[in-house]
Amino acid sequence: MKNLIRNTALATTMLLGIGAAHAEWPSDRPIEMIVAFAPGGGTDVMNRTLAPYIEKELGGKITILNRPGASGEIAYTALTQAKPDGYTLSSLNTPGYLTMQMDRKVRFDPKKLCLVARIVEDPGSFIVQANSPYNSLKDLVAFAKANPGKVTVGTTGLGTDEHLALLQLEKAAGVDLTPVTFNGANEARTALLGGHVTAIGINVGEFQSGDRSAFKSLGQFADQRSVIAQDLPTAKEQGFDVIMSSERGIAMGCDVPEAIRTKYSDAVKKALDNPEFQEKAKQQSLPLSYRSSEDWNKELPARAERLGEVWKLVKEQK
Amino acid sequence: MEFLDLLMLGFGEALNPTNLAFCLLGALLGTLIGVLPGIGPTATIAVLLPITFYLPPLAGIIMLSGIYYGAQYGGSTTAILVNLPGEASSVVTAIDGYKMAQNGKAGSALAVAALGSFFAGTVATFGIAIAGPTLSSFALSFGPAEYVALMLFGLLAATVLARGSVLKAIGMILFGLALGMVGIDAASGEERLTFSAIELFDGIDFVVIAIGVFGFTEIIENLENVEARGVLVRKLSRLWPTREDFRKAWPAVLRGTGVGTFLGILPGGGATLAAFCAYSLEKKVAKDPREFGNGAVQGVAGPEAANNAGAQSSFIPLLTLGIPSNNMMAMMLSAFIIHGITPGPTVLQTQPQIFWGLVASMWVGNLMLVVINLPLIGVWVKLLTVPYRLLYPAILLFCCVGVYSINNRIFDVVLAAGFGLLGYLFRKAKCEPGPLLLGFVLGPLLETNIRRALVISQGSPSVFVERPISLVLLIATAAMLVLMVLPSFRKTREEAFQEEEA
Repeated sequence: MKNLIRNTALATTMLLGIGAAHAEWPSDRPIEMIVAFAPGGGTDVMNRTLAPYIEKELGGKITILNRPGASGEIAYTALTQAKPDGYTLSSLNTPGYLTMQMDRKVRFDPKKLCLVARIVEDPGSFIVQANSPYNSLKDLVAFAKANPGKVTVGTTGLGTDEHLALLQLEKAAGVDLTPVTFNGANEARTALLGGHVTAIGINVGEFQSGDRSAFKSLGQFADQRSVIAQDLPTAKEQGFDVIMSSERGIAMGCDVPEAIRTKYSDAVKKALDNPEFQEKAKQQSLPLSYRSSEDWNKELPARAERLGEVWKLVKEQK
Repeated sequence: MEFLDLLMLGFGEALNPTNLAFCLLGALLGTLIGVLPGIGPTATIAVLLPITFYLPPLAGIIMLSGIYYGAQYGGSTTAILVNLPGEASSVVTAIDGYKMAQNGKAGSALAVAALGSFFAGTVATFGIAIAGPTLSSFALSFGPAEYVALMLFGLLAATVLARGSVLKAIGMILFGLALGMVGIDAASGEERLTFSAIELFDGIDFVVIAIGVFGFTEIIENLENVEARGVLVRKLSRLWPTREDFRKAWPAVLRGTGVGTFLGILPGGGATLAAFCAYSLEKKVAKDPREFGNGAVQGVAGPEAANNAGAQSSFIPLLTLGIPSNNMMAMMLSAFIIHGITPGPTVLQTQPQIFWGLVASMWVGNLMLVVINLPLIGVWVKLLTVPYRLLYPAILLFCCVGVYSINNRIFDVVLAAGFGLLGYLFRKAKCEPGPLLLGFVLGPLLETNIRRALVISQGSPSVFVERPISLVLLIATAAMLVLMVLPSFRKTREEAFQEEEA
């Protein structure tokens, strides 16, 4: 009997304790935000800029830890291994997150990883030198039709979003383009400026954050024109079925209580609506495009399916 | 006269008290992280970036640049004193600088490095101011084919880096090339030499190898010397360079400045080559190449001038074209953008105070660094008198922290320890790690550029000889190769380099 009382008391304390911990989230210790890419990159800068505004909404501290490597796989693995208490979250980017699962078995269980909030969607695009004879994807395709293989397009590697866009355009227009691999968008931009390649693939936001005076864009690979590029026609408008965009958002372990995930998702929404943050986002040309946890999770399978189709083109080329 | 007006505008900005204070802060922070092995400027700037939100744009950017070139100064300090290069650019400084320290001339080596760096920084800064835009358009004419020729030239020059046999040097370069291949090949998506460890998917970080084969190896080797443990083998003679040192050093500084300024402008790997090339050049023009590797003052002066000049001139493509030439400059680009400034030709026209203010602050910062560093030399050298049992565990700790902080993972620390053991074996076999690191740095650049050049030319190798810059560089490489295999030259080279093996 004595034991029973003690046990009940213990259990009650434990329950209370857990309850208290939940109520306290996230104020009793800092939230660790794993950024899956190196410091200084687009994803890193975006998250570092946004973090203080999320802190304001949540009333907690966020510390940022870069765990770069293997296109994010290292960070995703670390996230699925972390305690599901809502104190660890990670950046998550598509299409990298989806394509890595297509070719091989990844080190983490994707089912254990839940999307919390999408922050931006940045469509791909092709750009050329400002004095180039091509003014649209149509012009480029016309030349490529007459000169198979002559058009060189800088990408950042096999299976990256630029490469997948190139493969779609080849198929949609029935042309043969030559992909040239560079280590990152900046190297590709340098080569384009020097006239060593005809065009390069680059995300619209990434392009607009740099000095644009020496380049022009031929079209964006979005379903609808991006909020930051209202004047740039989409590939679809030009008659080519090419859709490719990269998304940046935040993920948590699925074992984290849903209440916490929703709370975080709402805090991100409020932070994105903060005019002070929007001013900063404008400076960095971030194409903000919020999706709640629910909406993003709903949209993902369709995106994965479409990517799967495009991925078959990669296989064919190999 | 417009140029002078703009320069005055720049100095006006740079000398206002706020900017001056942040310039000093940046330079001090940079020196500090440069001295601490493994903690690089890239990570530091990333962490400080959000703090600069609250500063005026120019002050923030001035501070971040100060960290960058301050780290170049600080990095050579550990290379000279304890044989621990934290960055690619100070690897060659360690070769002769550390020997000078062992000969009791640590103060002299540090002073030459500081003064050489200051001179080079001054020249390169004015180079940016006067010829920046012109130089950057020349740099753009370097396409894949030109890089291939440049890298070949650099690799061949690397055999000069080694003291022992040429064969061993070539072996080390090849080993470096193999290490450079580790990771996922971007063009084909295939894993190479990763042993399916995801930690190796992005290749091995330079700092991991450098700290392994230099830092850890040094510590292991010191355990062997029971009597003379530590760095201080010979008594400190003096802190200031002799007149003889100055006489030898200044032409080397001049040459290093030229090499560094030029190579620093080239986007993608140019700045890394600068120090290696300057060292090879000094060894080539020296009256007595036997001094090299045994504490030649030119072997410190040339590369130090080159890496500092390169650090300054790597700002040229960023400021004039908006294109960052390395990771560090990519970080600076983020810093600019966060402050609402988009570097490039437009900024030069619309916000001249930013460009000229930064250029002027670089010179001011370099001046501050010399003023800070010269009196500190005495302090640094005193560090060497700290007993082995305290100094080396501390170095070991900093090395581990530095390596861990690159990617925040323990895997890299273990890997560095492995390279430490490997480096120890190399030392026993009298194989130099310098050529290995050069092979490691240049190998991937060479490979990707060969593939790019051939993809663009649709498989026609004639692209390498059709382009004039590439052709000239290839001819120079061929001429050097012929010289090396000619019997008469080989004889002198053997005399020069085999000396200490006997």
